[in-house]
Amino acid sequence: MVLLDNVVRKLGPGVEFRCDHFHAPPGVQMALWGPSGCGKSTMLNLISGLLRPDRGVVRVDGEEIQKLRERELDAFRGERYGFVFQTFNLLAPFTSLQNVILGMRFADVVPASEWKSRATEFLNRVDLGHRLHSKPATLSVGERQRVAIARALVNRPKLIVADEPTGSLDPKTSTGVMDLLLELCREEEVTLLMVSHDKQLADLLPEVFDCSGLVEEVAA
Amino acid sequence: MSLWRIAWSYLWNRKFTTALTIISVALGVGLISAVLTLREETERRFVAEGQSFDIVVGAKGNPLQLVLSTVYFLGPLTGNIEWSDYERLRNEEEVAGAYPIGMGDTYRGFRIVGTVPELFEHDWGGGRNPYKLADGKYFEKPMEAVIGAAVAADSRRGVGDKFIGTHGVGGAGGHEHKHHPYTVVGVLERSGTPNDRAIFCSLDSVWQIHQEDPCDNHGGEGEEDLEAPAEDEVDARAEAHVEGVAQVEGEAHDPGEAHDSGDAHDPGDAHDHHGHGAHEVTAVLVALRSPGLRFTFKERVNKGYNAMAAIPVQQIRDLYDQLLGTAKAVLLAIGYLVVVISALSILIGLYMSILQRKRDLAIMRALGASSGEIFGSVIIEAFWVTVLGLCAGWVLGSFVCYCLGMYLSRTIGFSVPPVVWTADIVSAYSAVVLMGMVAGLLPAWQAYHTDVARDLAEL
Repeated sequence: MVLLDNVVRKLGPGVEFRCDHFHAPPGVQMALWGPSGCGKSTMLNLISGLLRPDRGVVRVDGEEIQKLRERELDAFRGERYGFVFQTFNLLAPFTSLQNVILGMRFADVVPASEWKSRATEFLNRVDLGHRLHSKPATLSVGERQRVAIARALVNRPKLIVADEPTGSLDPKTSTGVMDLLLELCREEEVTLLMVSHDKQLADLLPEVFDCSGLVEEVAA
Repeated sequence: MSLWRIAWSYLWNRKFTTALTIISVALGVGLISAVLTLREETERRFVAEGQSFDIVVGAKGNPLQLVLSTVYFLGPLTGNIEWSDYERLRNEEEVAGAYPIGMGDTYRGFRIVGTVPELFEHDWGGGRNPYKLADGKYFEKPMEAVIGAAVAADSRRGVGDKFIGTHGVGGAGGHEHKHHPYTVVGVLERSGTPNDRAIFCSLDSVWQIHQEDPCDNHGGEGEEDLEAPAEDEVDARAEAHVEGVAQVEGEAHDPGEAHDSGDAHDPGDAHDHHGHGAHEVTAVLVALRSPGLRFTFKERVNKGYNAMAAIPVQQIRDLYDQLLGTAKAVLLAIGYLVVVISALSILIGLYMSILQRKRDLAIMRALGASSGEIFGSVIIEAFWVTVLGLCAGWVLGSFVCYCLGMYLSRTIGFSVPPVVWTADIVSAYSAVVLMGMVAGLLPAWQAYHTDVARDLAEL
């Protein structure tokens, strides 16, 4: 599903990200684990196409995304990826339902006539059927992250990239959100790549990739 | 969910700043709307009223002053012309109607216009009848008056009420004709014309007052009194008025006047049984058989009469071109300056908004939105602000026009409608929308170049 081969990306003067090889097969649930600054977020950005490598190959679902043009990459990202962020990143002016619909509106993989029913279905699956018309500011942090999970999955993407998805949650809520994310990814047969600096959390996933040493200093 | 809806949601999410930006656009648009509408409407109305009579004939002097004072009842009066000139004019082949007017007095600042009843039958063209009665009847006898709607409203006078005229038309402080009260016999419907602030009475009324009131020879406000013949003539005419005898000595009758007789009866005035041979009038309003005759007839009058002819519509157009054209340009420049400032406020407002929600834009990009869609949504926001500002400005402009219209209707007798859709207004509004769009370009460009990875930061 995801392959990084001899990928190099300069991060600043004398600092670069280097990954000789990384492979995540389809349907895997894998944690990208490592301490802060080790390069795990850079790796996720490269896999998402939000950063382009200076060298090497980033292949996702058979497509070498570093070769895609900006517009093609936008469309590819909308179609194949689902994002779950640490701070939820819901759009404040919109309700839960609208936030989930926006996930489909930009991806353009679900017919517009199905947006509402599909968004409602996924919000029901994350147990937020009663908060469809609530704006993010009125939701608890756990509810916000559940909306974000619904938004990430609503397009039935091939790959979910999650960046510290429980980083802003208390332990009890965190467990509930993680269970939900893993369960839904299993049900939808989606590949999950989750960044975490928390080894305990990372160990909840079947696979763990140690990102230590991906960022290194080089001679200027 | 369309980009329009998304853009609207973001504007709604920051209602206060959006409202301020819309208000700033509205101020500029309102100013432009009001300036253009007032200019268009006043010009249209002035010209329309200028068309109501083909020619005005009065004393030699300034033709614009003659037109303003006799057609629009504005500004100082010119001198007088002889009654015989009126009679000659009335019998000219090209003339369809000639209406003498005599002025010199006012009531509460409204001019008292002595004329003949036939004036009320004059066709102003375009189906307009600014002499329609709202109440009462037209004057039939001396010292009966028909007052305009603005006069009635301002003075709270109605049919049956009496009032006293003041000598002079230049303002307050003139001598009051206390012994010659007028009786209101009719009130005109509001017509939005200068007639609204005029008081019509028979010429006899005007003459009678100025013959019999000893104070009249003092003059007033620099205006020339109507009828200023030799003292013995004044006595004779005064006597004639008192006795109801139509006889005046030493008059220069028009030898071509078919109805001229020893008693100097005016055949065109069924209500006037007095002789007018030595009387003077302020001017004669002339309707020609065809507007195409205006220039030739004017030339003929200027050469063949001891008087001056002026074409009202020509004078008014000249006035607009020379004077109001410059004023309009200045006001428009101010209006556009306000709009440019408004455009800057759109730019600043949107730019600040983009800076504040760079993260949102990055999320949209991560969700699959293209750079073009992000660019488009910001441009649409600028469009919303501009169009809402435009609508608010239209309302504001209409309100200003309404208020000014009320004022103008009361002071100079014509009303102003809400913003009218003229080519100038459409062009101005288009320019405002264009400026709004241009103001949105920089923030949109900024949004277009969203660095998704950096703006998402933690990803």
